[in-house]
Amino acid sequence: MKKILLATLGLLMAGSLMAQGAKLPDNVTLKTLDGKSVPSSVIKNDGKPVVISFWATWCGPCMLELKTIREQYDEWVEETGVKMYIVSIDDARTAARVKGVAEKQGWSDTGDDEYKHYYEVLLDSNRDFATALGIGQDPPHTFVINGDGEIVWQHKGYQPGAEEELLEQIRTLLQ
Amino acid sequence: MNIKRLLLTGVALLAAGSAGAQGVLGGHVTGNIQLDGQMSHEDTVIGADPVPEALKLNARADILYTNGDFSAGLRFEAYQTPLLGFDPQYKGQGVAHYFVAYKAKRISVTAGNFYEQFGSGMILRAYEDRYLGLDNALLGVNLQLRPVDGVTLKALAGKQRVYWEYGDGLVRGLDAEADLNSLIKSMRESKLQVSLGAGFVSKYEDDESIASSADPGQRLNLPLNVGAGAARLNLSYGHFTLQSEYARKGQDPWAGNDYIYRKGEALLVNMGYSKRGFSASLQAKHIDNMGFKSVRSQTGEMLFINYLPAINKQYTYASLTMFPYVTQVNGENGLQGEVMYRFKKGTLLGGKYGTDITLNASTIYGLDTVQVGGAGTEGYTASWFGLGEHYYTDLSLEVEKKVSKKVTLTAIYSYQEFNPAVEGEEPDLYHNHIVVGDLHWRVNKKHTLHFKAEWMGSDSFYDPAQSHTDRRAGDWIMGFVEWNIGKNWFLSASDQYAYNDGVGNYPSVTVGYTHGTTRLQVGYGKQREGLLCIGGVCRRVPASNGITFGMSTSF
Repeated sequence: MKKILLATLGLLMAGSLMAQGAKLPDNVTLKTLDGKSVPSSVIKNDGKPVVISFWATWCGPCMLELKTIREQYDEWVEETGVKMYIVSIDDARTAARVKGVAEKQGWSDTGDDEYKHYYEVLLDSNRDFATALGIGQDPPHTFVINGDGEIVWQHKGYQPGAEEELLEQIRTLLQ
Repeated sequence: MNIKRLLLTGVALLAAGSAGAQGVLGGHVTGNIQLDGQMSHEDTVIGADPVPEALKLNARADILYTNGDFSAGLRFEAYQTPLLGFDPQYKGQGVAHYFVAYKAKRISVTAGNFYEQFGSGMILRAYEDRYLGLDNALLGVNLQLRPVDGVTLKALAGKQRVYWEYGDGLVRGLDAEADLNSLIKSMRESKLQVSLGAGFVSKYEDDESIASSADPGQRLNLPLNVGAGAARLNLSYGHFTLQSEYARKGQDPWAGNDYIYRKGEALLVNMGYSKRGFSASLQAKHIDNMGFKSVRSQTGEMLFINYLPAINKQYTYASLTMFPYVTQVNGENGLQGEVMYRFKKGTLLGGKYGTDITLNASTIYGLDTVQVGGAGTEGYTASWFGLGEHYYTDLSLEVEKKVSKKVTLTAIYSYQEFNPAVEGEEPDLYHNHIVVGDLHWRVNKKHTLHFKAEWMGSDSFYDPAQSHTDRRAGDWIMGFVEWNIGKNWFLSASDQYAYNDGVGNYPSVTVGYTHGTTRLQVGYGKQREGLLCIGGVCRRVPASNGITFGMSTSF
């Protein structure tokens, strides 16, 4: 038993070294704010960087992160061309709140012109997509995806200031 | 269960995966590892149980190998002795979850363990909550077809996980969903978005001998197959949305409904209107005898086939979640409404940065029932809109205001009524007034301080001599401070103190470090059971007294 565990651990280490460059899964079903089912392959940005941020309406740090980035998002997009997908893991209990929260906060496009650019909001209410990306149960969790659809960076949790590192990571993709 | 062989298979798969990642097969390995430990001492005041083994440890590793449309995964779990709050039946270790899957554009097949949800989950939801120790993953086959854009068909069959085994009941399900705007050409550009769905779930379980209440000499004629069906409709038109699902269940005598033969029924409706700066929503829920388990003799939280959500608002502050509502699967009527509004920047109430207010109201009652008999009978009759026992009320007002570039203030007042009957205790009604103040101060680029002060005044009291043993009772004050240093470190300290008619004092300190996807955390002190959000992540914790530590990483 011990040997097997050690072998598994060794492989895991090897795995972690190679995980850079893992492709985003294409065929996991997500929902849009209109209740439409879409495959995860809709997450793309014409060869430019993509950010995926997992969040939930009951998660304080997630709300703080998304509000903080909202204030800078127009500038981020103008500078880097990035597109940010925010994937809610709210389950049946709170999923009905997601649309209201996102539209009220100015995170999703409601046709007004206060901001130039908006996040794309998707729902992952049984955490299928989160599981397919190998992440645990605690939001927030943020990924940076390059123009080829490969995961190049990820981060768990949010502390004020972490958005600067995220922007740096997006910028490195432009070089 | 041949765990060794499974592990070997897994390792072989992984080996194949890692070889692939080097370019031979082009695959990738991802996953996460999590370890939580506890060195707790008995504390009869706060209800922390003695820990004879000195150290309790939960560990798990999810490993996922992906190669194009093909994936395979396994999860190793080890509960040397499960953490406080976990069912002792989790004790053990091994591969608890494994699968292979092929997921292409038009077809997905999973063999092995899988999670799944039909609609909002009222007739089927297989899912995991690792902090609650809940996992009802199905072991079997799950097939999904998307024959044309906008149509999803699902078919599955399997048995449900219960701790380290699988329940005897067989679960089979079919579900179809159509998004009319993708399907019908003339609706493609329509502002009205419509999606429809319907599902059917059937469980089969062998016969057993259960005595009738009317004549204990007679055994019940149990239905071996029990069916449940649901239909749902989602509409959206501009700022408006409507989501609704109606479910029915056939005769299903089981331990949780005292083996009655009444049919089950549930309705969940959500209406919303939202635009920039404003959102309003109203949810209504009716549940009548909708507990649906794959093993009829099982009580408790395991082996539920379906999921009936609590619709009252989920808060993140300790005082507001001290008395969390628990869905009554045997019957309840509930309403939940919320209005959010933003006073714009530059207005009198909006100030320089805008002001957000949120009004919330929820109320939940039991059904108004008339008993007609015990096991083997219809059980009771109930009208749709009748209100029985009062279970829960929440009325709250939240104001959030960014007062300067660096400081954000939040204030909440909430009035809550809570009936301990929802937790299976003696019926009573607590009346609680709660006030929360929250301050985020971004001192400079590197340092952030976060303060919380909370007060709860309650007419509930703690007195074991009068059988008032709820340790959450009484009047409380709570304080919390967190210091974020850079983007990696945090330090926090908190105390919760029952100053009147209550019991318990919960001081604690925590230090944590995050780097990329790796997080380490060590805490010392007393911890109350509940939802805990510190250092940027929310999680559930059991009552304990001593040292807790956690490590998690994903790759």
